[in-house]
Amino acid sequence: EEAADEDSHEYSKRDLPEHSCKYCGIHNPACIVRCNVCRKWFCNSRGNTSGSHIVNHLVRAKHKEVCLHKDSTLGETTLECYNCGCRNVFLLGFISAKTESVVVLLCREPCLNVGALKDMNWDLSQWQPLIDDRCFLPWLVKVPTEQEQLRARQISAQQINKVEELWKSSPDATLEDLEKPGVDDEPQPVALKYEEAYQYQNVFGPLVKLEADYDKMMKESQSKDNIIVRWDVGLNKKRVAYFVFPKEDNELRLVPGDELRLRYPGDSTHSAWQSVGHVIKLTAQEEVALELRASQGVPIDVNHNFSVDFVWKSTSFDRMQAAMKTLAVDDTSVSGYIYHRLLGHEVEAQLVRTTLPRRFGAPGLPDLNASQVHAVKSVLQKPVSLIQGPPGTGKTVTSAAIVYHLARQSQGQVLVCAPSNVAVDQLAEKISATGLKVVRLCAKSREAVSSPVEHLTLHYQVKHLDTSDKSELHKLQLLKDEQGELSSADEKKYKALKRATEREIAQSADVICCTCVGAGDPRLLNFRFRQVLIDESTQATEPECLIPLVLGAKQVVLVGDHCQLGPVIMCKKAARAGLAQSLFERLVLLGVKPIRLVVQYRMHPSLSEFPSNNFYEGTLQNGITMNERLTVGIDFPWPVPNRPMFFYVQMGQEEISASGTSYLNRTEAANVEKIVTTFLKTGVLPSQIGVITPYEGQRAYIVNHMSRIGSLRQTLYKEIEVASVDSFQGREKDFIILSCVRSNEHQGIGFLNDPRRLNVALTRARYGIVILGNPKVLSKQPLWNSLLTHYKEHECLVEGPLNNLKQSMVQFQKPKKVYMDR
Amino acid sequence: ELQVKVRQKKVMEIDPEEEAEFERELRAVMQESIDSRKLEVRARPSLNMVIPMNLFEGSKEHNRSIEGESGDEQADGSDVTVHVIIKKGNRQQTKQLHIPRDSSLVQSTKQKEAAELEE
Ligand SMILES: [Zn+2]
Ligand SMILES: [Zn+2]
Ligand SMILES: [Zn+2]
Repeated sequence: EEAADEDSHEYSKRDLPEHSCKYCGIHNPACIVRCNVCRKWFCNSRGNTSGSHIVNHLVRAKHKEVCLHKDSTLGETTLECYNCGCRNVFLLGFISAKTESVVVLLCREPCLNVGALKDMNWDLSQWQPLIDDRCFLPWLVKVPTEQEQLRARQISAQQINKVEELWKSSPDATLEDLEKPGVDDEPQPVALKYEEAYQYQNVFGPLVKLEADYDKMMKESQSKDNIIVRWDVGLNKKRVAYFVFPKEDNELRLVPGDELRLRYPGDSTHSAWQSVGHVIKLTAQEEVALELRASQGVPIDVNHNFSVDFVWKSTSFDRMQAAMKTLAVDDTSVSGYIYHRLLGHEVEAQLVRTTLPRRFGAPGLPDLNASQVHAVKSVLQKPVSLIQGPPGTGKTVTSAAIVYHLARQSQGQVLVCAPSNVAVDQLAEKISATGLKVVRLCAKSREAVSSPVEHLTLHYQVKHLDTSDKSELHKLQLLKDEQGELSSADEKKYKALKRATEREIAQSADVICCTCVGAGDPRLLNFRFRQVLIDESTQATEPECLIPLVLGAKQVVLVGDHCQLGPVIMCKKAARAGLAQSLFERLVLLGVKPIRLVVQYRMHPSLSEFPSNNFYEGTLQNGITMNERLTVGIDFPWPVPNRPMFFYVQMGQEEISASGTSYLNRTEAANVEKIVTTFLKTGVLPSQIGVITPYEGQRAYIVNHMSRIGSLRQTLYKEIEVASVDSFQGREKDFIILSCVRSNEHQGIGFLNDPRRLNVALTRARYGIVILGNPKVLSKQPLWNSLLTHYKEHECLVEGPLNNLKQSMVQFQKPKKVYMDR
Repeated sequence: ELQVKVRQKKVMEIDPEEEAEFERELRAVMQESIDSRKLEVRARPSLNMVIPMNLFEGSKEHNRSIEGESGDEQADGSDVTVHVIIKKGNRQQTKQLHIPRDSSLVQSTKQKEAAELEE
């Protein structure tokens, strides 16, 4: 067995001649033919399949013409009909002369069926097809000997199908390419436990790579032409270009800090120009503000015909890979206990030796409720803890209180992270309110992005440090701002001074706040953090979470909610393999019990009922009474007066949007406008209303429709936020209107199928919610079926005009399969 | 001494489902080929299938010698030698092929020859 296996291995490694069978490597000229379409050679052996390799290829690739090898008996010959020249091998066969030992190839359509041949000397009754029993006639193309076949590469029918599929996109691919992860095979999926950190790295490394490649491909393919630019100058005297950057459902949305390249092709009076810049903000009018790096030569007298490209950066992926490597090679990266817990090993429970504070709240923060106190208390005593914060349960306040007490233990600086900048800012603000000294570390590319906690940012503190010995730095800074650049000696001096100042300020802080990826910033090199808190950790991938942990973690607090949306993974293959599962979730699966915050302060009690029962086992309590959520003076036609919610039955058709990649629903959009107008008329402010729709097509259509049709001032409609479920995660609005869009008999309901997305959509509203959708379609999905039933039971399933809503009698469909709670 | 382990010929295990699927694909390609020709070839082709006898003149002796030189082991009693006529551009060429004696192609020729002789 072994010897033969080694042989076939050797065979594949050796350089094979050009005319080797692309499947198995056999290259005996008598046994092979060349496909005339793709010029690849194949042999006439069956190997492990039911048809010969050449027939397999021709059938799978739908190629039909072949040529014999020059050293074969017939020499270099393209097989064709002797009479008409037809080269389709699936039509060819041999006929022989009646009297002589002469044979020719003849096609069966039409030549074999031409009557005139009957008069001639040929015997048409014994036409013998060239391909017989899924093999070329062995006396024309020899079948390789058993010995030859044994030495050849063993290829299975599945591999053949895969490689043929691969050739359609990359014709020069080899079978070896099939084994490379990312090309064809599904990558190794994530596990629950890992032997050691190298194994962990071997699993997650390729997944991060897959996602990085996909991200790069996506971003680099998103160049847009015919962009119209409006010019401005920022306070820092840098050029800012404003323009609309159209986007679609499956495309990435721009965020401040993204790097874009702006190009102008040139014209008779301008030479071609380009510059890279950072997105500093996205305006309410959906404009992108791009601060250019270079101010020289900008064609500011031109507005049309610009192009924009994404500049892809590997930084975040590099930092994830680096963190995994650090975990594997550096035993001081995390404590032994945390190392084993991360890898899922059984370890004896450990308690942190600490003196518990007398009260668990913190100065500057609201008082904590019982479940929050319990969370703080138990977190302080454990090296690893999970806190689950359902919507509106005071996750940020609890986190800030935990950080306050951790910092008071004087074990060094506390590192506080979250995957998103918004969450980091919120938390930094709350922590700062307790009186702790907070430094918010921003990526360099985001320094120009405005932030509610600007005064806490490192770059702001460096600039405004008010001591005399920093005057040299200030002088150079002023000079740089003025002139745009410094002499190389000054630049060197400026950089060294700046680095030293940054370090000094960062070291004097009690708490450093940054994104998870930001924890890999070179400015934190040589910083050690024993205590790390990660908020929104259920929205981060594992390797992302690892970045802040490998800076010396001994005590880790992960905050999040695995019942809300997880990390966004663009590459389906990586998502399927489990990259979308957060560390928080895996720890839950490993038996770590999250401490749940159970009192919600956001939603009107009737709005929290369904989410509590369906996503949190009925444990959510209301920290808010109906009276605190009364919509006094707001005259809105709620079907049940003290239940500010209804499901508005819509039967309008869904349509494919103009882009062809998304959906819209005109009836729903029209009704969204009517609802919005009703709210506005009764005194609700635009900023209090949020419209959620899962489809970009519908989002754009609603925005457009409202400003065209709406009877009130256009600016009012423009101020209303219309966005996807995902972009509302972590936020709230007083009133939410949810437009479901999908309305078809046979296809699915798309995005709305994910229970976590429904949970997020249903839990954004404080005072009231209106859902627009087609119950006939939605009721097929079990969770939506129970939502519809809930609304119906409370007499909140209605139809008809908004000023005359009636109970709907629409029939639900039977749900298809049991809803799996994850 | 080196021990050579020769693997027994593997029993071919072919997934019947895979086989059926391949058979369907193959039939589809065949059928599609025939159908497309039916549509494509409007005018029946003219036939020029005269056997170019000049190509065979004095071929028998010649053949023998070639076979001898090349040492083609297939020319044993179970095979017969046939001439394949192929066109290279407008030129016709014949090449020799050994086909099994029991091939239907040969069988028919032999039977016909025999039948004609009897007449
Ligand atoms: Zn081909
Ligand atoms: Zn082969
Ligand atoms: Zn023909």
